[in-house]
Amino acid sequence: MSQPLADGAITGGRVPGNAGIWVGIFCVLVEFLLLFTVYFVAKAHYPEAFLTGPDKLATVAGATITVLLLTSGYCMVKAVAAIRDDRRRATLVWILLALALGLGYPLVKFFEIRWNIAHGVDNAAGIFYGVYYYLTLNHLVHVSWGILGLGWVAVRTGIGAYSAAEHGGLEAAAVYWHTTDVIWLVIFPFFYVLR
Amino acid sequence: MTIAAAERVWVLLLALTAAGALLGETGGRGWALTLTVALLIALKGRLVIDHYMGMRDANRTIRRVLYAFVVVLPVLVILSHAYGAVIARITAIG
Repeated sequence: MSQPLADGAITGGRVPGNAGIWVGIFCVLVEFLLLFTVYFVAKAHYPEAFLTGPDKLATVAGATITVLLLTSGYCMVKAVAAIRDDRRRATLVWILLALALGLGYPLVKFFEIRWNIAHGVDNAAGIFYGVYYYLTLNHLVHVSWGILGLGWVAVRTGIGAYSAAEHGGLEAAAVYWHTTDVIWLVIFPFFYVLR
Repeated sequence: MTIAAAERVWVLLLALTAAGALLGETGGRGWALTLTVALLIALKGRLVIDHYMGMRDANRTIRRVLYAFVVVLPVLVILSHAYGAVIARITAIG
């Protein structure tokens, strides 16, 4: 497993996790910046569709996903704090809580899409919903990588691979997971709130 | 970050999420909504970056990129509201 970079190994201060995860995170940020550009262009061309589009979506589903991600992220903050104190059992409990909450996301998404389809909100319902499915399902894919990462660090924590001195892999999974938070905090208002 | 601070940030993020969801349910529109959404994105993004990711005392370059992400997008929200017709014109094909 990768080692955390020592202070000063890269100029500008400590790199949380490892350098590799930040390459991946920056790629994800660029990808979503492009997808958000698609959103803005589509909104400029079809303002009426984006004005009325959120009315047919279940705001409660978007809000529930936000709460799940933010609470799961909070659990990962606690997990990283616990491993820094070498409290390995507490670390594992927090990671498993984060994982359980994270798994709630695809579950809510499943019921949301089922509800959408029952109410005629599919890809053919209009440009707003096409962009909505494109962006939210893309985010779900990235969250899935995060869930796999949480599962991986849970196993590694369980076998005692992390300690107060060496927990770069755990911290890398945590910062990736928080990145999916940051992106969702943009997606949520774009489709459920903004008109 | 202390445990109490982590909990305070979590509660604040949930409160801001509830405020956003309520805004969505009211079906409001216009400048007030646009500016509120831009502010919520910037504020919540900054809270996650500083307190969840622990970037406040971490690598300067990474921190700046993350900060830029949650500044550029709210600015684009405002610009798209103000200049939607201009954006449509310059991105038209044919």
